[in-house]
Amino acid sequence: MNAIRWARTNLFATWLDALFTLACLALLLRYVPPVVEWAVLNATWNGNDRTDCAAGGACWVFVRVRFGQFMYGLYPAAQTWRVDLAAILLVAFVVPLLWNGAPFKKLFAFLTLVVYPPLGLWLLLGGFGLPVVETREWGGLMLTVFMAVYAGIGAFPLGVLLALGRQSRLPLIRSLSVAFIEFWRGVPIIAVIFLASMLLPLIVPAGVGVDRLVRAVVGLALCIAAYMAEAIRGGLQALPKGQTEAAAAMGLGYWKSTWFIVLPQALRISLPALANEFIALLKNTTLVLVVSLFDLLGIVHAALADPKWVGLTMEAYVFAGSIFWFACFGLSRWSAGLERRLSQGTRH
Amino acid sequence: MVKAGIASGFDFLWRTSGIDVPFRLIEYGPQNTNFDLLLVGVANTVLVSILGMVFATLLGFVVGVARLSKNWLVSFFATTYVEFVRNIPLLLFVFFWYFGVVRALPPPRSSIDIGGIFFLNNRGLSIPLPVEPGAFAIPLVLFAVGFAAFLALRLWGAKRQAATGQPFPVVAAALVLVVGVPGLAAVVAGMSTAWSVPALTGFNFRGGFALIPEFVALFFALVTYTAGFIAEIVRGGILAVSKGQTEAAASLGLKPGQTLRLIVVPQALRVMVPPMTSQYLNVLKNSSFGAAIAFPEIVSVFMGSALNNTGQAIEIIAIVLGIYLVVGLAVSLFMNWYNARIALVTR
Repeated sequence: MNAIRWARTNLFATWLDALFTLACLALLLRYVPPVVEWAVLNATWNGNDRTDCAAGGACWVFVRVRFGQFMYGLYPAAQTWRVDLAAILLVAFVVPLLWNGAPFKKLFAFLTLVVYPPLGLWLLLGGFGLPVVETREWGGLMLTVFMAVYAGIGAFPLGVLLALGRQSRLPLIRSLSVAFIEFWRGVPIIAVIFLASMLLPLIVPAGVGVDRLVRAVVGLALCIAAYMAEAIRGGLQALPKGQTEAAAAMGLGYWKSTWFIVLPQALRISLPALANEFIALLKNTTLVLVVSLFDLLGIVHAALADPKWVGLTMEAYVFAGSIFWFACFGLSRWSAGLERRLSQGTRH
Repeated sequence: MVKAGIASGFDFLWRTSGIDVPFRLIEYGPQNTNFDLLLVGVANTVLVSILGMVFATLLGFVVGVARLSKNWLVSFFATTYVEFVRNIPLLLFVFFWYFGVVRALPPPRSSIDIGGIFFLNNRGLSIPLPVEPGAFAIPLVLFAVGFAAFLALRLWGAKRQAATGQPFPVVAAALVLVVGVPGLAAVVAGMSTAWSVPALTGFNFRGGFALIPEFVALFFALVTYTAGFIAEIVRGGILAVSKGQTEAAASLGLKPGQTLRLIVVPQALRVMVPPMTSQYLNVLKNSSFGAAIAFPEIVSVFMGSALNNTGQAIEIIAIVLGIYLVVGLAVSLFMNWYNARIALVTR
């Protein structure tokens, strides 16, 4: 009985509603079964090459055979444990930092922002006892994560400085910050990646080669720093003026009051917005394709050019798309939950 | 730079480009200058951006309103769409529409026929074009006149309502003056002029105007992606108008249509305009994703082809970034002006 009542109020409240409901049901019946059939029922999961795949279904053999490449690019197979270790360390440092109510937040923030960058770079690149793996052999998901993490970590301090600069009382610093932020926010990221890949070699002193990956990460970081600065500005503006005045009354100077009073509170408020900027960054790392770096989407796309696997466009995009989707959806759920908690905390 | 043998200065703009562009709105050939090439790129960027903004707004409004529907299934559909779209890179959309959809369409011989005048195939979308576009001058003028007359009538109607309390049928006036009369004139003009309708000759379509596959794919990618973000803005804007407002309007005796037009929409717009501005700027910037599938927009033709030909990286990058900044500034100035017009006036 309850089900019928529910249906009457939520699906068939009026004639128009009933019409919409029926149209939606018709669409579902028309399109969902074929998709399920293609992706699951008629799909081939095991095998070694194209000929093992049944017609009329997805050929997941393609993804299975190429899985190593999609994850590590051309990273030497004997060395992939280093990538795995770097990934495990990243998870081990970041998850306690994001986990609500986990202890030792400061320790994990220090580990993520200060210890991890050189450690991860050493693991991936090698040197000091590990065989060197050139960045041109990097690719796939590991490259995507690497660029997002390093561009994000690099952009964060710059974003904080820019946001503070925009609030500064010194006109020169303020206008410089505004100009920097508006410039990088006003131009497309694809153009910035082009720009970084062509101009950085001209700027650095002769003899110092700039790695292609470094150029892309610098380009991404500059753009994201400007967006992060705007997110942090929101937090700074939301902070009651009484906080800085109280700090000044206690005799704290600008830097002390910023470091101990303003930033901890402002960053807390701007965390959800920062998380959204990080999601955008993760999605935009795909653009490095234009300078011939093969991130997850790039390498999946490139694999389609292999004559052995030609025509498996949908399989490739569904695979890459679902990885991006789960990562971004997870992050956005986390940020939405955080936003809810923060708004509860400040409710009067 | 001198050591690297790179020329400098802007002379290259007036030299022959030697680059052919498959899709252009203005007369252009490889014998034209690099400056003309730049104009072609700008025109393409502007075309796909404006069309993208308009259709993304329409789709976004529909999805945003659907998400608030009391019908569970409709709102479920809309929510699924929004959550799906917002968490996938735009580049994947572009690739999906280009390689997965447009390129996978049937060849011209078995194209998808839409009403006998539009033809969709793996070479793009062929649309009819009037032979004499001049015939549409009259409807355009009528539209401008009708719009001005409507604004004047609305002003007068508001004054009269304030003085006598008699409401003025604004919606009907708008329909007649802005949509009806110019629309009728356009139909008449369309019937009087000859049309160049695409027709299959040999292996391809002749006549009409051919929108290349890259354009079709980029357009659909921009629209479907941006609509997800606009839907959230629309939803937020409508939710921001408190329920007391509609209830108060109803208790004052306003009809549902009047409530929507006079109470809900003006207040929702106020919340929606700033984030919409940044979405429109995003569409403009995201049109550069066309470079990934070689749609001849400004980044692709100028930062790609022309830069390879001339090697003048600094000048070309400065020009392209400058154009984005100027156009972006123009869009945000317009939206700020609009925002100031509709903003809450507090005295």
